[in-house]
Amino acid sequence: MLPASLDEAVAALAAMPTAVPVAGGTDLMAAVNSGLLRPAGLVGLGRISEIRGWQYADGHALLGAGLTHARMGRPDFAALIPALAAAARAAGPPQIRNAGTLGGNIASAAPTGDALPVLAALEASVVLTGPNGSREVPVSHLLTGMDPLRPGELLAFVRAPLLHAPQVFLKATARTGPGRAMASVALVLDPARRGVRCAVGAVAPMPLRPLEAEQWVASLIDWDGARTLDPRVCTAFGDYVAMACIPDPVGDPADPAGQDAGALPPAVAHLRRTVAALARRALGRALS
Amino acid sequence: MSAVRGTSVGGDGTAGSDAATAIPTVVVPPAAVESQHGLGASLLPADAAAKTQGVFPYAADLWAEGLLWAAVLRSPHPHARIVSIDTTHAAEMPGVRAVITHTDVPGDAMHGRRVADRPVFAHDVVRHHGEPIAAVAADHPDTARLAAAAIIVEYEVLEPVTDPEKAFEAPPLHPDGNLIRHIPLRFGDPSAAGEVVVEGVYRVGRQDPAPIGAEAGLAVPRPDGGVELYVASTDPHADRDMAAACFGLETDRVKVVVTGVPGAMADREDPGFQLPLGLLALKTGHPVKLVATREESFLGHAHRHPALLRYRHHADAEGRLVKVEAQLLLDAGAYADASSDALAAAVAFAAGPYVVPHVFVEGWAVRTNNPPSGHVRGEGAMQVCAAYEGQMDKLAAKLGLDPAELRMRNVMATGDLLPTGQTVTCPAPVAELLGAVRDAELPPLPSAEDEAEWLLPGGPEGAGEPGAVRRGVGYALGMVHMLGAEGHDEVSTATVRVQGGTATVICSAVETGQGFATLARQIVQEVLGVEEVAVLPADTDQPPAGPSARGRHTWVSGGAVERAAKMVRTQLLQPLAAKFGMSVELLTIADGKITSYDGVLSTTVAETLQGKELWATAQCRPHPTEKLDETGQGDAFVGLAFAAIRAVVDVDIELGTVRVVDMAVAQDVGRVLNPRQVAARIEAGVTQGVGMALMEDLRTGRGAVKRPSLTGYALPTALDAPPVRIVKLVEERDVVAPFGAKAVSAVPVVVSPAAVAAAVRAATGRPVGRLPIRPQTAVARQG
Ligand SMILES: Cc1cc2nc3c(=O)[nH]c(=O)nc-3n(C[C@H](O)[C@H](O)[C@H](O)COP(=O)(O)OP(=O)(O)OC[C@H]3O[C@@H](n4cnc5c(N)ncnc54)[C@H](O)[C@@H]3O)c2cc1C
Repeated sequence: MLPASLDEAVAALAAMPTAVPVAGGTDLMAAVNSGLLRPAGLVGLGRISEIRGWQYADGHALLGAGLTHARMGRPDFAALIPALAAAARAAGPPQIRNAGTLGGNIASAAPTGDALPVLAALEASVVLTGPNGSREVPVSHLLTGMDPLRPGELLAFVRAPLLHAPQVFLKATARTGPGRAMASVALVLDPARRGVRCAVGAVAPMPLRPLEAEQWVASLIDWDGARTLDPRVCTAFGDYVAMACIPDPVGDPADPAGQDAGALPPAVAHLRRTVAALARRALGRALS
Repeated sequence: MSAVRGTSVGGDGTAGSDAATAIPTVVVPPAAVESQHGLGASLLPADAAAKTQGVFPYAADLWAEGLLWAAVLRSPHPHARIVSIDTTHAAEMPGVRAVITHTDVPGDAMHGRRVADRPVFAHDVVRHHGEPIAAVAADHPDTARLAAAAIIVEYEVLEPVTDPEKAFEAPPLHPDGNLIRHIPLRFGDPSAAGEVVVEGVYRVGRQDPAPIGAEAGLAVPRPDGGVELYVASTDPHADRDMAAACFGLETDRVKVVVTGVPGAMADREDPGFQLPLGLLALKTGHPVKLVATREESFLGHAHRHPALLRYRHHADAEGRLVKVEAQLLLDAGAYADASSDALAAAVAFAAGPYVVPHVFVEGWAVRTNNPPSGHVRGEGAMQVCAAYEGQMDKLAAKLGLDPAELRMRNVMATGDLLPTGQTVTCPAPVAELLGAVRDAELPPLPSAEDEAEWLLPGGPEGAGEPGAVRRGVGYALGMVHMLGAEGHDEVSTATVRVQGGTATVICSAVETGQGFATLARQIVQEVLGVEEVAVLPADTDQPPAGPSARGRHTWVSGGAVERAAKMVRTQLLQPLAAKFGMSVELLTIADGKITSYDGVLSTTVAETLQGKELWATAQCRPHPTEKLDETGQGDAFVGLAFAAIRAVVDVDIELGTVRVVDMAVAQDVGRVLNPRQVAARIEAGVTQGVGMALMEDLRTGRGAVKRPSLTGYALPTALDAPPVRIVKLVEERDVVAPFGAKAVSAVPVVVSPAAVAAAVRAATGRPVGRLPIRPQTAVARQG
């Protein structure tokens, strides 16, 4: 089924509750092809032009769920929300970016979804449309499962603030060619609220926000002046973020010897160093 | 994801990429004079256009009237006892035509490449994740899969043996025991000692051949009770013999027809699906087809042997090697397959292409419940190369010597001895190769202006930061043997026919993408001066040519084609020579014309033939080899090939990401028969080696394969594949090899991982002892 509007798509899903929406199909069809999923029907979202672009609404952008990574990676979009554009450019090989969408990335909610830490750092929200109308939910509530997508509901738009300030998205992968994130960091400056917001992706099932580290570093920035920081502060920020996201293991009280308490396995220790380096680099780039 | 893997087309193997800077390039020294055909020409493969246009038929494209679809039920457990198998539900499903298990194997229940230790279908125990248990034929592929899933197997899960070091003590996983082969090599004086001693432990992961096309095949029953298997076999006669034995048929009742081969790294096919296909066709009387999913492909076929290698090198104060001691442990997985061959190569080349007066090696290949290991290009040789070259770097660091200089002081040459006691009789221009890569120009460092264009480790959209990037340069030397070793009969047979202006080659050497068909055309063009040469597809109605592996076909099948062509030449020229009273040697054929030395006689091939058809069949059988004895001694190899590679890498020393910037290759090729093809093979080999160095490792958890998919198993993409610069092809002809040519594909695979590891060592100052190199080991030492 290929509805041409959101209303038609919602109606199609209501008429056939076992059907599954499909946007770019880059996640869904892989699951279908490997036999993990056998949907009774598919509702294609590719013809719904109202969700393939974006519009402005009081200091925010209303981004269509059908925006592809390729579209978001282009310079005009990058001028609006630089970190989301950077995440889109880093999301997989060109074939995937041409088909994969923002809505699919959110709905799949993979830990390595590159848009997710950016949306978390932006404190964006999603507009969900269902048989009973529309509602708006913070992205973090959707991703943590506090307020999940309900049956028959579609992700229509993402509401993201336009901050008019530097934003960075950095992703560490295991190779030079396209790959999933081992860890990623999104960092945005919000001069109006004198805030630094940061989210770490891929190290947990959903993006993590190191709130204390954010507040600490925001308090050190001269928001009316040059907005620069000593490199040592950036390093300390990186370590702060990394410790918050990958804390030391709590010693096992049942293990009196407890020698290994506090020693991270090498792979986890490397992940922590990676997060620290990414957060430090991200802050440095945002302030340069 | 776009993966670069040397498949069939001799192009430059670039996959889609959006960073123009990263497209791999092959730089070949210009050939002096390049002719259009014959030996030395860059002839294109005849099927190049069809392959690039996507119209070349592979096994997955085959169709037959009334065909059924097969599915194989594979074990989800790496080690379990099978309590019961209940196929009733599956057999009753509509559309299902046959369900078969071990009770339906009419012939031999066991098969294997060297030792018949592997059941067609597991029945009492399963020994690896993905081992076949039953198979179904149905009228639709989905029905077949659902029916396979409906077979109820009751398992008693057993503790898997996954650590090869524990295999020695573990209860036997197989009636044959857990030790597949042990080679203790003793060469020289065990009490010899050097002034400087370095030790190291090296681990090599499990590389998957990851052919670009997964396994597929079609089995067609014959009216005479036999069956024809249409599969991408790389050794059709061996596969036929194995199939006939299991089917309980005479070999003349089973025919293997080789379809287009979508990528092969040695033994391509997984008998775990070929055999069920044939059995189902025989049972149902219908053609049966199977196209493996990527997951099945990862589970079923053989992988590179994971290895644990312990080394101690002794040298004198000048850095000359005195003694090498090594313990080599190869993980064979559940079945023997080609493990004894891999072990022989690992043991024989344990010290590398260096002169070492005293060598003591203990080599073992052991059975575990890990995924099966077998022939993958450079088996055995690659794993030890990573280790002995790691040792050479350690020794250089300890002696304060330049790593290239240390190697130069130890390189082997023709006339030296291998630790197996065999004299190296072929060209061994190791010093020249090393000199060529050492003296090659280094790629420039990015300057301030082009820093923005610099492709950093981690990729164009990665997190790389120029300030954290260190460049490293590393060297590696390595060697492989060509042809089968230790007494394998390496014979091949070919027929050449000439009629009118065209020649035909009939030989069952499989064109896997290695370029044999192109080479056969060139040989016939050279000998007979006929431009039009067709190479017929391979099947088992032709005489055997042996497996497509270890560069065999350039040697044995190329040699057989040459002999047959020369016999045809004599038949063609003899009457003319007799008529003009001169010997055949005084006549030359070129461009379809026959001329005498003095130019008096001039006629055409077509005219001389007068409508006749000339045929000749010939064999090529290299000199025999012998099995390594109980101290690892013996003349086990027919010939050796060497290469030197210099790797240049950029490492982000905080994130541990590595990008290979440049690979400079110098290789001992004997003679360049087709410059384009040689360059393509070297590039493909280097790319596969870079994959082993940086990312390729089929991960398991308690013996079960994790994420058997091309998303879970990363292959080099165009962005990862480095520019390959061929700085020197040493053409010192090997007098015993036909045309003097050496095999070119395997040695770059063997040497590249060691070179990349050496360069990462140089960049980070860390002892890189594990392949693939993990980001956590490629970070700068923590203060
Ligand atoms: C080779 C490869 C590499 C990849 N690399 C990356 C990467 O580096 N980074 C990354 O983040 N992702 C990556 N991905 C994952 C994927 O491409 C993205 O997550 C993409 O954004 C998914 O979008 P889609 O439109 O293709 O989703 P689909 O596959 O169409 O849908 C995915 C899920 O979302 C649901 N859905 C889609 N749209 C809506 C909607 N509007 N409302 C409600 N539900 C909806 C579908 O029902 C389905 O369950 C990769 C995928 C592949 C195959």
